[in-house]
Amino acid sequence: MSKNIGVYIYTGDGIKEAVDIDKLIEVATSEMSASVAKADDNLYSPAGIEMVKKDVETEGLNAVVIAGVSPRYEFDGFKFDGVYVEKVGMRELVVWSHKIADDDENADTKKEHVQELAEDYIRMAVTRAQKAEMPVPDKMENPSDRILVIGGGITGMTAAIEAAEAGYKAMIVEREAQLGGFAAKLRKQVPLGPDYSSLAPRVADELISKVNSNPNIEVKLATEIARIANVPGEYRVSLKDAGTKSEWDAPVPLTDEEKLDENGNELSAEDQKKKYDEKNEGRQEYTEVDPNAEVFGAVVVASGWKPYVPQEGEFERLSWGNPNVVTNVQFEELAKNGKIVRPSDGKEVKSVAFIQSPGGKDDDADFPYASHVTNLVSLKQAKYVREDYPEDGKAYIFYQHMRTPGQYEYFYKGLQDDAGIYLTKGAVTEVKDNGQGGLNVSVENTLLGDSISVDVDMVVLATGMVPTTRDEAVVNLAYRQGPAFKELELFGGYCDSNFICFPYETRRTGIYAAGGVHRSMTIEEAIEDAAGAALKAIQCLKAASEGHAVHPRTWDHDYPDFYFQRCTQCKRCTEECPFGALDDDEKGTPKPNPTRCRRCGTCMGACPERIIGFKDYNIDVIGSMIKAIEVPDDDEDKLRMVVFACENDAYPCLDMAAAKGYWWSPLVRVIPVRCLGSVNVAWIKDAMSSGMDGALLLGCRFGDDYQCHFVKGSELANRRMENVAETLNSLGMEPERVKLAQVAIDEYDKVPEIINNFVDEVMAMGPNPFKGW
Amino acid sequence: MAEQKKLQPDLAFVKGVMEAGGDTVNKCYQCATCSVVCPLSTDESPFPRKEMLWAQWGLASKVAGDADVWLCHQCGDCTKYCPRGARPGDVLGAIRANAIKYYATPRALADMLGTSGGMWGAVVAAAVLWFIVAAIWAQITGEAFPFPEGSIEFHKYLSVIPIDAVMLPIVGLISFVCYKAITAFWADISEGANMPRSFNGTYPTPPLGILVSNYIVPAVKEIIAHERFKKCGQTAERTKGHQWVLIAFIILFIVTIIVMVYADILGGLLGMEGFHTPLALWNPVKIAANIGAFLLIAGIWMIKSMRDAKTEEGVLKSSQQDWNLIWLIFAVGVTGVGAEIFRLVGIKLIAYPVYTLHLACVLILFLSLPYTKFAHLIYRTTAYVHEKWAQDVRAGKAGFGLEKPVGTDEH
Repeated sequence: MSKNIGVYIYTGDGIKEAVDIDKLIEVATSEMSASVAKADDNLYSPAGIEMVKKDVETEGLNAVVIAGVSPRYEFDGFKFDGVYVEKVGMRELVVWSHKIADDDENADTKKEHVQELAEDYIRMAVTRAQKAEMPVPDKMENPSDRILVIGGGITGMTAAIEAAEAGYKAMIVEREAQLGGFAAKLRKQVPLGPDYSSLAPRVADELISKVNSNPNIEVKLATEIARIANVPGEYRVSLKDAGTKSEWDAPVPLTDEEKLDENGNELSAEDQKKKYDEKNEGRQEYTEVDPNAEVFGAVVVASGWKPYVPQEGEFERLSWGNPNVVTNVQFEELAKNGKIVRPSDGKEVKSVAFIQSPGGKDDDADFPYASHVTNLVSLKQAKYVREDYPEDGKAYIFYQHMRTPGQYEYFYKGLQDDAGIYLTKGAVTEVKDNGQGGLNVSVENTLLGDSISVDVDMVVLATGMVPTTRDEAVVNLAYRQGPAFKELELFGGYCDSNFICFPYETRRTGIYAAGGVHRSMTIEEAIEDAAGAALKAIQCLKAASEGHAVHPRTWDHDYPDFYFQRCTQCKRCTEECPFGALDDDEKGTPKPNPTRCRRCGTCMGACPERIIGFKDYNIDVIGSMIKAIEVPDDDEDKLRMVVFACENDAYPCLDMAAAKGYWWSPLVRVIPVRCLGSVNVAWIKDAMSSGMDGALLLGCRFGDDYQCHFVKGSELANRRMENVAETLNSLGMEPERVKLAQVAIDEYDKVPEIINNFVDEVMAMGPNPFKGW
Repeated sequence: MAEQKKLQPDLAFVKGVMEAGGDTVNKCYQCATCSVVCPLSTDESPFPRKEMLWAQWGLASKVAGDADVWLCHQCGDCTKYCPRGARPGDVLGAIRANAIKYYATPRALADMLGTSGGMWGAVVAAAVLWFIVAAIWAQITGEAFPFPEGSIEFHKYLSVIPIDAVMLPIVGLISFVCYKAITAFWADISEGANMPRSFNGTYPTPPLGILVSNYIVPAVKEIIAHERFKKCGQTAERTKGHQWVLIAFIILFIVTIIVMVYADILGGLLGMEGFHTPLALWNPVKIAANIGAFLLIAGIWMIKSMRDAKTEEGVLKSSQQDWNLIWLIFAVGVTGVGAEIFRLVGIKLIAYPVYTLHLACVLILFLSLPYTKFAHLIYRTTAYVHEKWAQDVRAGKAGFGLEKPVGTDEH
C-alpha cells in the first residue's frame, strides 16, 4: 500500500535554534517525497493537532510523522483512524543531547553534524512510516471466563474468592482431601492487623466457608493437574485423582544431557525420539487434545510450600534426631493437639528454645528457606508456651536475624512484653541431651555479654518453607518447552520471573503465581498477593479477548507473523522463545499462539530465514530505516554508527541523559528496538553493507541478576554476537565494530560515555573498508 | 570454647522489676542508645543497656552484682531518648528498689515499709510507742502527762534518756543490718566486676585506714559536691534540692551529736548545771539546726516539685517508694519546725503531740535506712567506693604486693 505521508516538525524547546528547519522540510518533501511537511512552534497544542487532523482529511494522509518530543511521552492527540503515526524524539535525540556552547570554537562543525543528525532522523522516520502497516489485532472469540486456581490454601482460596467477586468463575484444584492448607492446621496465627499484642484465631476457617458458599467457585479436592494444554483464554486442563498416573500427564522433553550418548555426542533425531518416547511412555503427545479437558482462561498458581524437613544426620550439632528436637511445623502440630507435652515422655513442656540459625559460630545464615515468616512463627509459638504455662513457662528465642517487617514490628513488641519470653542474638553452638530428659542449649556471643547455656524441655528449629515449584512442575504444561517453569533455580525454586518488574508474571503468559510458591509469605501477605494474582489473571482474559499483549507491552495489538513457506524448521524460534509461546508440529514447523506471546520479537531476532515479523516492526522496516541513513563515503570525520537501543531501559536512559544535557557523539543514529532479543543479524549486515562503520547494541543486564524485561532477550543477543563476529571476520572487518553493552534504566550518566567510547574505538579503527561500494 | 554460664531465668524477678516501676523493661531491643546518651555511663562498663537485658532475662544474681545501677542518678536522659519507650531510667530505679529489698534483713520489714500504708502505719505505731514511753517516763519524773506543767520544754515530756533508750538500740540494729547488707553487696559487686580473689576465695578489701583515706573520703567528697548528679541532663535541676537535703542531714546529724553530748552526757550523765535543752535561739548550735531544718524542708520541696514536673513531662516515673521517702523527710522537717514554733508560741496542746509525731517520723526514717529508698544512701556510697577501689585494683595500684592482680588480664 503506497503511503501518503505528512511530516510535522515541532520547533519549540530549542529545536528551531539548533537545526535548520527549512532544510528538514526540504528533506522530507523533495528527498523522502512526503506529501506535506510543516513546522510548528505549538504542534502539541489543540491548534497544532487540528492542523494535522485537517491535513489528514484534506490531503488524505494515511501516515503521519511527528518529529518532536520523545515517543515515550504519552500523548494521544495524534490518533486518527487508519493513520499510521510515527513519532521521533527530535528534541531528545538531536537537540538536547547535542547542545553547542556559544563560545565553542568548533561550533560550526558541530552544527553541521547536528543538522545531518536531524535530517537522518527525518529520513528514518519517513521510511518507517512508508514501510510499516497498521496492526490488526487477533482477537480471541469467546475466551473462557473461568480461572483455574492450583492449590486450596489461604492463597488459592483468596484468589478464587477475589476472582468470583469480580464476576469470574473459579475452580480450586486441591491435592489434599480438604481445603485450608497449612493455615488450617494452626493452633492460632499471627494477627492480620491490629491488635498485634496477642495471637489471632485461624482466618482459614472463615475463608473455607466463604469458598464453599460461593456459587461461582467450584472445588475439586484430592485432585491434581495432569496437564494444562493450549493457550491463555482457552486452556484445556486435564484433571486426575491425586497421586495417580494419567495418560494425560504432560510429557517431559529430553534434557540437554539426555540428548547425548555415553560419549557425549548428540544422538540422532531418531534416537532422540526413541528416548523421548521411552521417557514418556503411556503419556499422550503434548499436542494431543483431551476431549474431556476443562476449559479455563487463566491460571493462578497457589500451590504454596512444603516444610523443610532436615535429613537424618543433618544439623547434628543441634541434635536433630532427638525426639525432643522438632521443626516449627512439627511443634505446631503438637500445639494444635492441645497442651504442649514432650514427645519423648509426655512431660509438660515448661521451657522451649527456638533456634533460628543453625550455623553456630561459623555461619550466621538462617535455616534454608527461612525468612521473616519463620521468625514470626517462632515468636508466635513462644506465646503458645506462655499460654499453656502462664506461671512458669519459658520460651527462649536465639536468633542471628530477627525480621519482623512493617506492621509486624508491633507483633514483636507485643510478644517481647511477655516476661517469660527471652530473646537474644547469638550463635547456637550445641544442643545436647542434658541427662534429665531435656536438652541443654549452648549459645555464644549473646547480647547478654556471655556465652550461656540453658536447660530446656524442647528445642524447635525454625526451618523454612520450600516452594512446591522447586521440586515439581506443578502446572504440568503441555508445551513444547516442557511442563515446568524454566530456570527457577535462579530464584531458589520460587516461581518467579522478575520480582521487581513483574511481581505476578511467570515465564508462562496467563499463569500467575501467588503466595508461598512466590516467596515466603505470612498469611496476611499471601492474601494480598492472591488478590493481585487474581486480578492479573482477569487482565489476561481481557487481553485475550481484545487481542493485545499482556505486560509489559499491554497496549500492543500487533503479533508476530510467520511466512511459513520459507520456514526451514530450524527450531530456533521455538527453542528460544522466553515464554514458550511457540509449539511445533512433528516436522518442527512452529505453531504460533498469539495469546501466549509477549511481543518481544525474540523469535524475529532468532530467525535465520527472516520470515518472522510484525506489521510495524520487522526485518524490512528496520532494515530500510538503516539504509535510509545517509552515509558520506569520503569524509573520515563523518563516520556513521547505528545504535540499537532497547525500548525498556536503554532508550529511556538516553531520554534522561538528553534531558540532563549530557552530550553524545552526533555520529550515531539511534533505533529503538523492542528487546535486544529481536535484533536480527540481518540488520547489522544491512548497516555494514550500507557503509556504516559500526553498530552498538544497548540492552538490559543479563545473567543471574538479569533485568531484561523479556527475561532472555539481551542474553540471546549477546550469544548471537558470536555469529556476528564470525561474519565480520569473514568479511575482513574488525569484529569490534559491533558491540553489546548493558545499561540499567538509572544509568543515564553512563550511557553517553558508553556511546562515546564506542565511537572513539570505531574512529580509531577507521572507516568501514566497504564504504561506498 | 568460651566458658558458658548456665542461666536459669527467674520469672519472678522479672515480674518483680515490672511491678516496682520497671514495667517497660521488656520493650528494650538492645540498641544501646541509652548507654550512649547517659552522661554518667563509663567506657569500661557502659550502662544501662546490659542491665535492661539482664532484667529481661530475670538474671537476679547478675543484676545484684552490678554496681553500675547505683552509679545511675536517674536523670532520665536514657528514658527520653529511648526509641522503644523502654524507660531504662525507671527500670534501673526499679532494679535498685528490688536490690534494696534483696539485701534487707528481715525482708518483711522492707516489704512493709515499702508500701505507703506500711510506712505511715509504722509512723503512727512509733508515735504510740513514744506516747507510751512518755507515759512511763512521766511516772519516773512525776511530770504531768501528757502535758507537763509550766513552760513548754520537751525534755519534761521525754528527756534524752528515754529517747536514747529507744533510739540507740534501733541505731545499733540498723547499723548491724547495714553492715551485713554492705558486706553482702560488696561481695556481689566484686564478683560482678570480676575482681581477683585471694587464695581462700574471698575478695580483697583495703585495710580500714586506706579504705577511709583513699576511698571513702574521696567518695563522700564527690557525693557532697554532687559532681555526678550535676552531669545529669534531663533532671539537672534536681541537684540543688538533693544537695540541700543531704547537707541538711549532715548539719542535723552534727547538731544532734552535739546536743547528745551537751544534754545527754554533760547535762544528763554528769549532771552538770545549765546543759539542758531547749537551747536559746541565738545559740550557734540552734542556729545551725534551724538552718538545717530550713534546708531540709526547702530541699525536699524542690525535689518534690521537680518530680511532679518531670513525671508530667514523662521523663521520669515516680514510684510509691519515691513519694514515701519524700513525704517522710518532709514530715520530719515539718514536724520538727512545727514542734519548735508551737513551743515558742506556747501552744501546749499542739506542741507536745507534734513533738511526738516528730520523734515518730525520725524513728521511722532511721529505721528505714536499710529498708526503703533511703538505702540508696548506703548502696550508692558503697558503689562509689567500690568503683574507685576496683579501678585501683585493675590498674595494679591496690598495693599489698598484688602489683598485677591475678585474673584481670584475661578479662
